[in-house]
Amino acid sequence: MSSEETTTVTVCPASELGVGERLIFEHGGEPIAVFNAGGELFAIEDRCSHDDGPLAEGEWNPADCTVECPRHGSLFDLRTGKPKTLPAFQPVRTFPVEIIDDKITLEV
Amino acid sequence: MPSAEALAEKKKVEGINSDYEEKFGFHDPETGYAYKAPKGLNREIVEEISRYKDEPQWMRDFRLKALEQFQSRPTPQWGGDLDQIDFDDIHYFVRASEKNSRDWSEVPEDIKNTFDRLGIPEAERKFLAGVGAQYESEVVYHQVNEQLEAQGVIFTDMDTALREHEDLVKEYWATVIPPNDNKLAALNSAVWSGGSFVYVPAGVKVEMPLQAYFRINTENMGQFERTLIIAEEGSDVHYIEGCTAPVYSSDSLHSAVVEIVAKKDARVRYTTVQNWSQNVFNLVTKRAVAHEGATMEWVDCNLGSKLTMKYPSIYLLGERAHGEILSIAFAGDGQHQDAGGKIIHGAPKTTSSIFSKSISKDGGRSTYRGLLEVADGATETRSKVVCDALLLDEDSRSDTYPTIRIDENDADIGHEATVSKVGDDMLFYLQSRGLSEEEASKMIVNGFIEPVTKELPMEYAVELNRLIELQMEGSIG
Repeated sequence: MSSEETTTVTVCPASELGVGERLIFEHGGEPIAVFNAGGELFAIEDRCSHDDGPLAEGEWNPADCTVECPRHGSLFDLRTGKPKTLPAFQPVRTFPVEIIDDKITLEV
Repeated sequence: MPSAEALAEKKKVEGINSDYEEKFGFHDPETGYAYKAPKGLNREIVEEISRYKDEPQWMRDFRLKALEQFQSRPTPQWGGDLDQIDFDDIHYFVRASEKNSRDWSEVPEDIKNTFDRLGIPEAERKFLAGVGAQYESEVVYHQVNEQLEAQGVIFTDMDTALREHEDLVKEYWATVIPPNDNKLAALNSAVWSGGSFVYVPAGVKVEMPLQAYFRINTENMGQFERTLIIAEEGSDVHYIEGCTAPVYSSDSLHSAVVEIVAKKDARVRYTTVQNWSQNVFNLVTKRAVAHEGATMEWVDCNLGSKLTMKYPSIYLLGERAHGEILSIAFAGDGQHQDAGGKIIHGAPKTTSSIFSKSISKDGGRSTYRGLLEVADGATETRSKVVCDALLLDEDSRSDTYPTIRIDENDADIGHEATVSKVGDDMLFYLQSRGLSEEEASKMIVNGFIEPVTKELPMEYAVELNRLIELQMEGSIG
């Protein structure tokens, strides 16, 4: 997949994703998750790099900016997409996210 | 005419054949125990273990979260039959002695006698750089060579490490094996106790092995030690563990977690000679990460237990890292050895090998289960997997489940597997050279496992050969 071409995606009004909440949606068949950690937004692909299963529905910690894969426990850093523990060792994709006109907007 | 030496060796071997029960299978009275948790697992037990050990809050939280994960995960339905384990019929924490001693004379008499019979202090005097002895849930004795200590090497039990080196432990704790990795890792994370902590500073080479010995004494006991080894840049260490338990009519559970971090150009070898009695479920998660230029070796010998499920794994995450797994499994009557290894090539120019040898006799079942993975981006990797099975009779069984996943085109991967039987012609040939049928059979088996035994320190190679000879007794005719 080329990382050069990006699309701007409008997800939802900013008011719909409160502090400590997460939202999982699909764009072009690819599941993406947006997290609101203390007012700061992070977006990652919703796929664990260990076994390709869903990642974002796992337990997440807004204070540490991490999400734990619900199947084998790999802990991912939401800021970088990098795993902090095995068994995953490859990063997942992250997407720039900002609020434009009161809407959560991603560059995918 | 056999030489005097051969006769002496034969006598020795026959002496060992006085069976497991006598040599390892004895048990001591449980008098004078400091604490024994009631059977069963719940939040109160986990909190009590943590309180008893006076742990920091983060560890208490870690345990409780792991307990929830253990309870919510289904029991694995692959490998051996784990539905036989009654998790409510287990003592999860048994403290035999109030203190962990550095002086052998301070160890309680009964426990000391046990380890004397197993030869632990003797081994320490002879050739070890450090030794730890775990009895039930906790380590009762720990000693490390003073010179190594002066070089900054830490070799202590995990409970002490958490008290004295909390920051270091916390930095690496559960980063290699998170609690939710699998159900048994979650169980260990909830109720862990004892195990070893090894820290080798950069550039320090520990010439002699460090050894830990694990002993279960109580019936229906669960032993859940947790070992963490950190080898800093350019360091070198060899850690050896041995395990035995008494023979009981009901089952015990051993479920350890072993995490190893081998940093740039470090070398770690981890040798196990597991000889649990045949009423122990041995379900262990062992995983190592090898960074740039590091070498990680697992030498894993599985002789005892009712069911062993153990697949030491190595994540090769730095360029030119190298991993080796040597595995022996011996399955006798009523035993299932489900063993193997996993190697994940996660960086370019990494190399690895897995050599697995299994022997099945008297209806025993051995399984090789392995994974070799070459991840996307791990170019120019090389690996060789060899799994050989030897069946000693018609009733025994051997299965091989090798999985190979390759995401790079230029990987150089070899896989060989053989299954052989000790045939009449082989026995006849050796017998025609003057050996008895039993001697011939032992010789074939010893030749079969020789690639692994030659990698062990001499004392362990001799012990392993004898244990196998012991298992072999009466296997012919």
